[in-house]
Amino acid sequence: MYGGGNTFEGIKTDSLAQEDPIKLQVFEARIARGEKIEPTDWMPQLYRKQLIRMIEQHAHSEIIGALPEGTWITRAPGFKRKLALMAKVQDEVGHAQLLYSAAETLGKSREEMIQDLITGKSKYSNIFNYPAFTWADSCFISWLVDAGAIVNQLANAKGSYGPYCRALERICAEESFHLKYGHHCVIYLASGTPKQRQMFQEALNRWWAPMMHFFGPSDKISAHTEILMKWKVKMASNDDMRNQFLDMYVPKIWELGFTIPDSKLKKNTETGRWEYTEPDWEEFKRVINGDGPCNKERLEVRRIAEERGRWVREALKAPKTSYVTPLA
Amino acid sequence: MNSLDPRVKRLPSTGIVGQVEPKAPLDQFGTFEVFVQPREGKPFQHEGIVHAPNLEMAFVLAKEAFTRRFTCTSIYVADTRDVYVSPMTEGNENVFQLIPETPSQPGEKESYEIYQLPKRGKQHIHIGAVMASNPTEAMSEAKVKFQSDKVVYNIWAIPTTSIRFTNPEEKELWLTLPEKKFRDASDYKGGDKLKEFLERSTTTLRS
Repeated sequence: MYGGGNTFEGIKTDSLAQEDPIKLQVFEARIARGEKIEPTDWMPQLYRKQLIRMIEQHAHSEIIGALPEGTWITRAPGFKRKLALMAKVQDEVGHAQLLYSAAETLGKSREEMIQDLITGKSKYSNIFNYPAFTWADSCFISWLVDAGAIVNQLANAKGSYGPYCRALERICAEESFHLKYGHHCVIYLASGTPKQRQMFQEALNRWWAPMMHFFGPSDKISAHTEILMKWKVKMASNDDMRNQFLDMYVPKIWELGFTIPDSKLKKNTETGRWEYTEPDWEEFKRVINGDGPCNKERLEVRRIAEERGRWVREALKAPKTSYVTPLA
Repeated sequence: MNSLDPRVKRLPSTGIVGQVEPKAPLDQFGTFEVFVQPREGKPFQHEGIVHAPNLEMAFVLAKEAFTRRFTCTSIYVADTRDVYVSPMTEGNENVFQLIPETPSQPGEKESYEIYQLPKRGKQHIHIGAVMASNPTEAMSEAKVKFQSDKVVYNIWAIPTTSIRFTNPEEKELWLTLPEKKFRDASDYKGGDKLKEFLERSTTTLRS
């Protein structure tokens, strides 16, 4: 599971002006009761739009996220690790399919979503614009990027949109393997030779900044999302999720004797919150807007895959098929 | 393409960098609804959809997408266009009240599989089959046969002949899964290794 750090569009104050106030009231009351919204239910345009954006970003993140780890399948140390990594990458791509299907129930076709991914119109999790230099980078992703995504997605699984929640339930159930596998890999590096320890420490140094970016901009500067929280589209603030991740995983990283490259990182025992050097949000913006080390490569790999698969899809296409939106 | 990834380096370049031809409608095929039987004796329930060029491929892809890790006893698929759907209700409104009872119509009858949604936010569950000459009659027959005091919110009807079932000889499809331990979290017990490492590092510190 790779979702995380969703970017939401800024919401204009008049964006609900054209909605029917009575329908809106019924809709909001249903969410407040903890009921799910289903594809056939009435929903405000803004809800539909932001959900499509979020679920689509999540699906793209699964597809693109499979690339840096996929790189390491052929070079994973030993047969068992190769099998496991293959199974994990297959899971991630399977998750993308579940998520594209959930987004599709809101009325955006899979053709449009794939198109928007490749042309760079849609975003995906920014962390995958960074390269996986060594096997240890791949282990960092399997353990800690997945861990971060789990924090995010367990929250989202309690959201308001039925098809997305059901997809996330399946996805979360498969995640326990990813997390255990990732931790297992890191324990083996940590308890291995000095060279192996050094490899993971270097990977940790490289990935820490993108990991802190992972949950999205600090609450102080991120777009106002109160209404998305009220509608249970966004379930926790970026800073809350970041804090939860640090709470759960910093002790586990320290336990293995590694150092985290942030001298200010410590838990404030009075507030219960973690303190850290403010991540470089200018870099985050620059990378998410296309100027990262791997943005071009990631999209180009997808584009080539699309081009090369075209003849297969055309050969399979039944001439008389017509499209209808899936049901749930 | 210049990349750290040897596989990416080997990719032949094709088309124009950064440009993708607009996708034709149905480039990703139509959708099929997937139903899974979690255990022997349990009813089938709706699990999700797959995109596929035809019913047979939908069955194959559904197996990949939905039974990769969770063992089940059977799956089947049906074209989304073959699913007849009632209105959706909420609160205390039983959807059966919205379905008109139509008198039995003449002509040849066929079997329809009926699914109900007993809880909003959950999956549709198979409740049985009825004989009818068209989908409207199937809904009406379902009302006669399955309506009770219990509120349900939505009904689906699918002609039995439109469904691609798991054949008895295909049941062994799921037998391979228990051997694939590398897909299970339980196969990654790092506890002993971690403990040994922690003990070793404490000893080093002391000495």
